[in-house]
Amino acid sequence: MATYLEINKKQVNEEKWEEPFYLNMGPQHPSTHGVLRLFLELEGETIVNCTPIIGYLHRGVEKLGENLNYNQAIVLSDRLDYIASAANNTAFALAFEKLMGLEVPRRAKLLRTIVCEMARICNHLLWLATHALDIGAMTVFLYCFRDREWLLNIYEKICGARLTHTYVRVGGVRQDFTQEIIDELYKFTEEFPPRIYDYETLIDVNRIWLKRTKGIAVVPPEDAINLGLTGPCLRGSGIAYDVRKFRPYDAYGEVDFVVPTGKNGDTYDRYRVRMEELRQANSIIRQCLDKLPETEGEPVVAEDAPDLLMPERIKKPEPKPVPKKGVIFRGADVPVVPPGEAFAAIESPKGELSVYVVSDGSSKPWRLRVRTPSFVHISAIPYMTKNHMIADLIAIIGTLDIVLGDSDR
Amino acid sequence: MKILEKALLIEILKGLALTLRKMLFAKPVTIEYFDKVRPVPAPGFRGRHALVRDEKTGDTLCIACMRCVRVCPSKCINVEYEVDKETKKRKVVKYEIDALRCVYCGYCEEVCPVNAVVLTEWYEYVGLKREDLFFDKEKLLKNWDEFIATQKRPYLNPFWKPRGIPKKFLPAKKRQFTGV
Repeated sequence: MATYLEINKKQVNEEKWEEPFYLNMGPQHPSTHGVLRLFLELEGETIVNCTPIIGYLHRGVEKLGENLNYNQAIVLSDRLDYIASAANNTAFALAFEKLMGLEVPRRAKLLRTIVCEMARICNHLLWLATHALDIGAMTVFLYCFRDREWLLNIYEKICGARLTHTYVRVGGVRQDFTQEIIDELYKFTEEFPPRIYDYETLIDVNRIWLKRTKGIAVVPPEDAINLGLTGPCLRGSGIAYDVRKFRPYDAYGEVDFVVPTGKNGDTYDRYRVRMEELRQANSIIRQCLDKLPETEGEPVVAEDAPDLLMPERIKKPEPKPVPKKGVIFRGADVPVVPPGEAFAAIESPKGELSVYVVSDGSSKPWRLRVRTPSFVHISAIPYMTKNHMIADLIAIIGTLDIVLGDSDR
Repeated sequence: MKILEKALLIEILKGLALTLRKMLFAKPVTIEYFDKVRPVPAPGFRGRHALVRDEKTGDTLCIACMRCVRVCPSKCINVEYEVDKETKKRKVVKYEIDALRCVYCGYCEEVCPVNAVVLTEWYEYVGLKREDLFFDKEKLLKNWDEFIATQKRPYLNPFWKPRGIPKKFLPAKKRQFTGV
């Protein structure tokens, strides 16, 4: 990045210049939600060009996953999108199950759906809190964190961790719910909708909020598809695409929900879509909880699922009758996991998260590829910021809902 | 009507009224941590590591099967053992956990066949040096003594015997386990 440094140096030394003003924003800027660096080309206060520079949080999750076995790789997925780690766990587990040809028990499917939707509520609450704080609404921030704390406490009861759950495992989930958790979740689903109404009272028709969000970063439907946007960003542009509806996984096929869409494709519409998703997620949790008693007593892990401690190799059993003395039996290796490839996509709170895994028969994935929504959404920043003010850039980063752990991997 | 609403700042006043109502009538959710309130984590919270002390022998229950070492995703457990020549039994010489490497997934306590290792519900621990968070066998046993003094007996960690898991995944000793 020497060129950027040279340009900056030149600007300091010269008193007057004709070329546009260059500015570095980040990677330690609080409103870039992590370590995103943006190189801006300005004309006055208007952005002419914007180059996102990523990679400050690169940990090599894909390569690390190739050195761990399938159950251990799920632990890595917690650290991708650390706000909604239950959804990441599910994506990894679904791909591995497809590879191994496992059928997950219905109770485990319902439990997974519940934790995924809880992750969606957690994520959208944190998004609303920080997005509103960036734009200038402080009270919403406090209210959202109060409610998110409640969900994190429930998570703590479910799996013993608040942020990096590792709750989903290959073939099911780690642990069953207790009656106490189910009661608490019922209480949450009852008390949560009025709270969404509270947030909306604060900012839905607030004139400052409207001025900062209406008509900002408009993405027409065709451009949204071409940019590869998914999730609420795509639905805000009016395209009702949702993996949960089109390729249902887990228990989404049996629950009833609508896919909310926007009209204009601006920041305000994306905000409305996410608020509506909060209500839908709440109702999905409720429906799954109602179905839980039907599956009482079922195991939460498939019978033929691999153990947490996967064997590194399995020897073919000795043939019967035992070969006579003097004949050496060569035990060939049986593949631990059937060789082949599998692909699974889920609707994570931020967009479409997909995992592609290739197996060569050993207990470790031969190749692991993760398509994360934040990475694709960052590539849309140059398009969306064109001819906007610097102050709007904060709103645009907020509305895309990016997490740098997700994008850099 | 629209102009009147705009001039009188109706929507902003509505928001302020909500804030005022919450300020006056809602119960505060913040706590005065450490001085007044010390939150108790939920059972099964994955906190500080410990090795269960066997009350009969005063030593660890560990049989050095190395399952925890092999399942650990961050490779933070180090076990060394020696084999008794007469009884052919393994005896743990070294059991070390590097808590700074640990990712607190709880796999080790789930695969342990004798429930010797545990992530306790103890969350208030710090280290001023790196060595403070490098637990060897004595430190892990001491962690257990500190932790079990605050608990009701018999103590059963949920991850020792996860709820709703088929019997196939649990060895016989784990299935019959009722707590220490």
